[in-house]
Amino acid sequence: MNNEIIKNIVRFILLLIAQIFVFNKINLGGYFNPYVYLMFIVLLPFETPRWLLLLSSFSLGFLVDIFTGSLGMNAATATFVAFLRPSISSLLLPKRDKDSGILPGINFMGLPTFTLYTALIVFIHHFLLFFLESFRLSELGNIIFRVILSSFLTTLLIVILEMIFTSTKKR
Amino acid sequence: MFLWKQRFFLVFLILEIISILLIVSNNSYQRSKFISASNGFTGNILSFYDNYISYFNLKEVNNQLVEENVRLRNELKSSYLKLDSTTGEVFDSIYFQHYKYISGKVISNSFQKRNNYLILSKGRKQGVYNEMGVLSQNGILGIVNSVSDNFCSVISMLHSKTAVDAKVVRSGYTGTITWDGKNYRIGQLENIPSHVEVHVGDSVITSGNSSIFPEGILLGKVLTAKKQSGKGFYDIQILFYVDYNKTENAYLIYNLMKKEEDKIMEGVENEQ
Repeated sequence: MNNEIIKNIVRFILLLIAQIFVFNKINLGGYFNPYVYLMFIVLLPFETPRWLLLLSSFSLGFLVDIFTGSLGMNAATATFVAFLRPSISSLLLPKRDKDSGILPGINFMGLPTFTLYTALIVFIHHFLLFFLESFRLSELGNIIFRVILSSFLTTLLIVILEMIFTSTKKR
Repeated sequence: MFLWKQRFFLVFLILEIISILLIVSNNSYQRSKFISASNGFTGNILSFYDNYISYFNLKEVNNQLVEENVRLRNELKSSYLKLDSTTGEVFDSIYFQHYKYISGKVISNSFQKRNNYLILSKGRKQGVYNEMGVLSQNGILGIVNSVSDNFCSVISMLHSKTAVDAKVVRSGYTGTITWDGKNYRIGQLENIPSHVEVHVGDSVITSGNSSIFPEGILLGKVLTAKKQSGKGFYDIQILFYVDYNKTENAYLIYNLMKKEEDKIMEGVENEQ
């Protein structure tokens, strides 16, 4: 368990750095905007106390905001998906699986379930974030277009990263 | 205990309220001073990063600077032929310097969001103040909105609150340039009445109606101009000359007569 806590703290820091210096700089025609730091929220163990889930997601979103200059937006949206995460995971997983101490990931959930689980969190987050950013109903069409493109890229990156890290662990 | 049972929801509510307060205070035109992307800590980290990354763009930046040097050299007195050699040198009382420029380096830049900001490595110590105009080699970058000792943050041209007074060179009619958040190369020119002739390819420059930007800075050219049915105005799309994806150097416009102009404007507003 201690090992798990340290792993999550390291993941928090690495994803924050990667988000600020790598993923914030990705620009494919100005439409793709991946927020890979969400991987931290996706991979937090299921038995994490819920207040800790909320607080750590809030702090990560807040730190990303400080460096992006979008104060409060990632904090609000990351907290919101952290709030929804227990419901999303109980929707996708049978109850006994969650209680037996398994971790979110391809190893335990299988690729299709993990991808769906990640995509749901990512899509809700991106939709809220992009809508908060523009805050205009008249731009809804444009927002949804960007949300779909960016959600696709973020989910793809998270699943690929997860595949890389689980495959090295097995060897 | 009801409250204890609902503690998860309470923590959630408190965190969301904090976030929303941050968003609201951050969205006011003058952003909250206590935490902003231009403060010393984040500014230093970003400029450390930029120190390394900027090497990759050196070649292109050099080319741009050479082009600019050539253009400026062409404007030098020595590149004009003196026609009347009998005129002596006199103190020039007609031209009085109105603007001077401070060069800055872009250490952080975004263009893919709805509301974009830039951070420059010049601050209060170098004479930067709020609401300064910011240019690049080929157009407008934005307007300074927050200053710390050594850094400043700039509301980009690509922001929902940016509106720059502009005019179409051919007709001289003035309008406002805004950005609709779709394509970072394309902006919108509003308030040009539909009885004016606007052609595709017409140049658009700053009008000089504000104390922020001098007159005559090239902004872009007209891409499409449609007459809107039922409204008396054109729907004009313009292509920015600035590629907001590639911004390295910036020039901050120091208005030497700002105090005087502000005083006059204050008087006008008080009378209204």
